[in-house]
Amino acid sequence: MTRVRIASVLLGAGFGFLLSWGQFIDPDRIRDMLLLRDAYMWEMFATAVAVAFVALRLLKRAGARSLLTGQPVSWSTARPERRHVVGAAIFGAGWAVSDVCPGPVAAQIGQGIAWSIPLLAGVALGILLRLRRDEAPSRAGAAPRIATPPGPALPASNPD
Amino acid sequence: MTLLHRPDPFVLGLLMGAVVIAAFAILNERVGVVGGFADFVERVTGRRSALGWKGWFVVGVVGGGLLFRLLAGAPTFRHGFGWLTRNLDGGLVAVVLVLAGVAIGYGAKLAGGCTSGNGLGGCASGSRASLTATGTFMATAIAVSFAIKALI
Repeated sequence: MTRVRIASVLLGAGFGFLLSWGQFIDPDRIRDMLLLRDAYMWEMFATAVAVAFVALRLLKRAGARSLLTGQPVSWSTARPERRHVVGAAIFGAGWAVSDVCPGPVAAQIGQGIAWSIPLLAGVALGILLRLRRDEAPSRAGAAPRIATPPGPALPASNPD
Repeated sequence: MTLLHRPDPFVLGLLMGAVVIAAFAILNERVGVVGGFADFVERVTGRRSALGWKGWFVVGVVGGGLLFRLLAGAPTFRHGFGWLTRNLDGGLVAVVLVLAGVAIGYGAKLAGGCTSGNGLGGCASGSRASLTATGTFMATAIAVSFAIKALI
């Protein structure tokens, strides 16, 4: 478990560093991209997805196993549901108003940018509201709330 | 090239893609940041007994921002917070940011991911749900950005 944590932190550090280097944590940069005045984010995003899309299939075809879990590299995919559209629309509106998405919020915290604090508080509150809404039907059945052990928070079909 | 200048977008895309690939090659997991924030919320509210890997991933993202700040010698940006601080008073900016954050957290959790989880990891996996979500949040963000521009 410790090796998984260390690997996760290192992967995240690389991700946060790259977000900072690409200036994706600067709201003005994101705004320029969303107003289609700057192609940088679109070029970066398309490249990243294309590279990963091809490489993952090569890994899968080669029968590669993940280094720490030993599982064959694999993933599941989900069919689009209403929640994907509704949730993404709500998320997109929040992204456009703040010009920051969750990864950059975390990197902003690391850089000591004070305005990221109210944004982070809002993100946490939004997640909590969603969790409570997800739990609401099960409350009618009086199921006790039990803390879950560490591990994947969601099935692989739900990337989060 | 210094850290205060953006690298070529195709080079950065290659490096970002490498993080997505490494997450599979090392952990067999998709990258995702909202899931990491959700780990913290669930941990703090007693819904889970320990952080999952995504929670630790977010710890790393914070550390990556700090590492960049130390190596670059300056933050990525210095003044204000985009259009919000140029057009609104400080107290109102904070309120708007909290509300925008609620939309980000609630919406991304409902959609099963944000720009990293659905956008990078999900699209690279070829998930139709992620492709749908990514197209939706990008189209919405562009439309709302143009609406804001028209209003201010």
